[in-house]
Amino acid sequence: MLKAENTVTIRQLWVAIGVTVSLLLILLGRYFFLQIVNNNKYKTKADNNRIRTVTIPAPRGLILDRNGRIIVDNYPTYILTAVPGEMKDRPKEMGILANLVKIDSSILTKNYLKYRRGQFVPARLAKDLSFDQISKLEENKRILPGISYSQYPERFYPSHSKLSHILGYVKVVDQNSRNKLENATDYEIGDLLGWAGMEKQFEKELKGKSGVKYLEVDAHGREVGHVLNLEKINPEPGNNIITSLDLGLQKHIEDIFIEKKGTAIVSNSKTGEIIAAVSAPIYEPDLFSGVISPNEWKRVIENPNNPLLNRLVQGLYQPGSIVKMISAFALMENQGFDPNAKLNCAGFYQFGDRLFGCWQETGHGDVDLKEALTQSCDVYFYKTIQHVEVDHLAKWFSTFGFGSITNLDLPIELSGVVPTKDYFTKRYGKYGWSRGVLLNLGIGQGELLVTPIQVAKYINILATKGKSPSLHFNISSEKTLSTYSVEIDEHSWDYITSSMFEVVNGENGTGKKALINNTDVQIYGKTGSAENPHGKTHAWFVGFAKRKNETYSVSILLENSGSGGNVAAPIASKIFDYIFNVSSTILMDHEF
Amino acid sequence: MNFNLNRKINELPWGYFTISIILLLIGMMTLFSISHQQDPGLNNTFYKQGIFILPALLLFFVVIHTPKTFIHKYAYGIYLLGIIAVLIPYALPLRAGTHRWISLGLPFAIQPSEFVKIITIIAMARYLSDQSNKSMKYLTSLIIPFLIVLLPTAIVLKQPDLGTAVVMITPVFPILYWAGARPYHLFLLIAPLLSVLTGFNSFSFTVWGISLGIILYMSKPKLIIGIGLYFSNIFLGLLSPILWNSLQPYQQKRVLTLFDPNKDPYGAAYQIIQSITAIGSGGLLGKGWREGTQTHLKFLPVQESDFILSVIGEELGFIVIAIILGLFALLIIKTIKFSAFSNDRFSALVLIGIATIFISHVFVNTAMTVGLIPVKGLPLPFISAGGSFLLSSFIMVGLVMNLSKNHST
Repeated sequence: MLKAENTVTIRQLWVAIGVTVSLLLILLGRYFFLQIVNNNKYKTKADNNRIRTVTIPAPRGLILDRNGRIIVDNYPTYILTAVPGEMKDRPKEMGILANLVKIDSSILTKNYLKYRRGQFVPARLAKDLSFDQISKLEENKRILPGISYSQYPERFYPSHSKLSHILGYVKVVDQNSRNKLENATDYEIGDLLGWAGMEKQFEKELKGKSGVKYLEVDAHGREVGHVLNLEKINPEPGNNIITSLDLGLQKHIEDIFIEKKGTAIVSNSKTGEIIAAVSAPIYEPDLFSGVISPNEWKRVIENPNNPLLNRLVQGLYQPGSIVKMISAFALMENQGFDPNAKLNCAGFYQFGDRLFGCWQETGHGDVDLKEALTQSCDVYFYKTIQHVEVDHLAKWFSTFGFGSITNLDLPIELSGVVPTKDYFTKRYGKYGWSRGVLLNLGIGQGELLVTPIQVAKYINILATKGKSPSLHFNISSEKTLSTYSVEIDEHSWDYITSSMFEVVNGENGTGKKALINNTDVQIYGKTGSAENPHGKTHAWFVGFAKRKNETYSVSILLENSGSGGNVAAPIASKIFDYIFNVSSTILMDHEF
Repeated sequence: MNFNLNRKINELPWGYFTISIILLLIGMMTLFSISHQQDPGLNNTFYKQGIFILPALLLFFVVIHTPKTFIHKYAYGIYLLGIIAVLIPYALPLRAGTHRWISLGLPFAIQPSEFVKIITIIAMARYLSDQSNKSMKYLTSLIIPFLIVLLPTAIVLKQPDLGTAVVMITPVFPILYWAGARPYHLFLLIAPLLSVLTGFNSFSFTVWGISLGIILYMSKPKLIIGIGLYFSNIFLGLLSPILWNSLQPYQQKRVLTLFDPNKDPYGAAYQIIQSITAIGSGGLLGKGWREGTQTHLKFLPVQESDFILSVIGEELGFIVIAIILGLFALLIIKTIKFSAFSNDRFSALVLIGIATIFISHVFVNTAMTVGLIPVKGLPLPFISAGGSFLLSSFIMVGLVMNLSKNHST
């Protein structure tokens, strides 16, 4: 039967070849479409498959003092991380890990969920690993797939100064906080973010720019090497912030304020630079970096004196007699007021059916304005200030910056209270208050509330006769500072400054304890002992010291500690002494 | 030894053999790239494939020296042996979850269905060469050839091995066409299958519905039969997605898994994406031999067999792909021409059957790598790793050369 003829026709042959060729052309066309037309699209896709982008954190900028000494530094700490996609059995590994590093597995899991940001991105589980913990991890590497440790820059305070309130602190950005950020795209989970104080204020400068490196990974997400044709981008460290602070003076004052409650601000009146600033009680700046023990944390949190409060900008106080210079300006502006007219102080003054006492219960006798300032006589001001309008006095307080923020370069600042007619009417009703409030306001009592930083600004205005640049910390850039100017006639300025000189240098001056042993230096000041509902009076001393062309101001507040002259003025003396007799790093002109 | 069986050995079309050897070399080069980082040994696909080259060539020489009359005479006997061979795995323990393999105690096993594909063609050719063209004009005359092919196909489908079953049944259509069956009858046989498959896509179903109408109209059947055929097909197409969707997902999965137990049907999408990415990223010239990232970082699945063309596409680029497809076109068109110009009806039918096996493998495998058809585990002739298929491919090369036109007569 092999003899049967082949009956295939040419037509059949062409049908078969036609089918074959068209099938193969479809395939060739499809390959052409993928490989030639869409080549770039799939190249990118293949690269995305194999390339894992790893962020290299940028070191945060340092914070330095005026002489370049480091206040805030970075140091490499070791963090424990887990790559979700590389772990085989998470609960089991967490259990083993917890045993190795002696951290509760619930904490590890909590952090894992908090910082997880992708299948192949390391999530941090713990930080500040000790050498011991790291060696345990190394030993058990093989049973902990996906678990690793890496270096991470942590904030560190080498100077041991306790500028916590001013420096603020950083937080690690996590899932939650990142969502709330305005510029969330600039941050990755695990980045540091300035959360308070200077760290927050100068976040943009300090932050830096993280770098990236490219790792080649296989289909299981395992790293197999570096990507050859993609250059690693090195991180750009953040800019350093040079502050006007002098670490020597700062520490000197911090030591004075141990076991005390209050504030001290020292500034260069002519430049607005803050040389030292203390808010006591103090807490350690690394309180928020998680290095300290839970006990220490508890001690700070539960302290009734509220160490976490930044008294400098958020503490509200009655200023007491330190604002009498403002009352004096208000009086001198009044037509017919004679500063040289003597008024009698018997130790008290009756206004309507109320008795207003002088701090000197035995009375000051006959005093003029200068004597009233020098001896801080209250009765003189009771008698005179009642002829001034409430709003007029309020205007004078505002002129010296009270009632509004100073625009200090720190994130949060309270504006205090300067009461006006409207204020009293709103608070007590139209007939619920009388001009008697003036008697309190005139001596810095009553509803008037100020922050210590406002007081520092006020004293700088006095020291410069109304030409005081804004207070600030950051001196790293040549920014033009706004100058706060107050227009008052030269005669009045002279009258006030000479009175302030008398306060410190005069026979009967209340601030004599602020004097120092240096005849080149002239010291001006004013004491205050502000009554308050919490116990003993708040002791105030404000003042400034001049030598040649340099002027430094000091404002001291000690909560519930007694009279300004006895308690605050001696501290001012120690500070002036340090500036002019001890330190070689503050004065611009060091010749003695 | 007397070589005067059909003709002298140097009269054979050695160009045909050369094409298959070039394809084999491209395949070996690719397998070397895939496995160059593995240790030499039987787990190394390059070495494993290499072991099969010698037996393949040996079988090739045996086949070209086998008299055509011998093949013709014992066609049915070989067919019976083939049926037994595909049944043997059922008596053996499961291997990789299927009854596809016969283990010979060697580190590798033999897949009898690869050889039965050829045997079935020979049996069909034998039967049809005994029939005249005229006797093939009736629909009923298609019954026996279909029985011959359906028996092994059913056994292979049950193993289960859908891919091989598809390749096994496909040659019946061109062979019958070659033998003189009416294309219209063949069309009627394929129509219900196309109705079911296109039913899942409204566009393809519309195109299919129109084509079906035109073809039926042009074939001029009796009106009542034509209308009946048309609407039963349309009805089948409309019904299939409804029936399919009425199944629970696990039932659907069970049906899909019945056809292909080794693959998670839902993982197939991942494989296609990675394959297309590999191919597309290769571009005109490829990323370079042994430089494919999709391949070497293991994004690409089953690279040594199902997706070997994706490896070539990634590493060697479009030009080499075009060369490979060109070589296959040459090989298949040569086979078809040998068939058309062969001296006897039996050879013509065997050759068109082999051409069909080649084109089915090339089309299904290649179309799968670029996502034109669902993932179906079918190797690319001469190139993919796979011992049994390499042996059967060279048997087919031998057969084609042996049965091609006898120049001496």
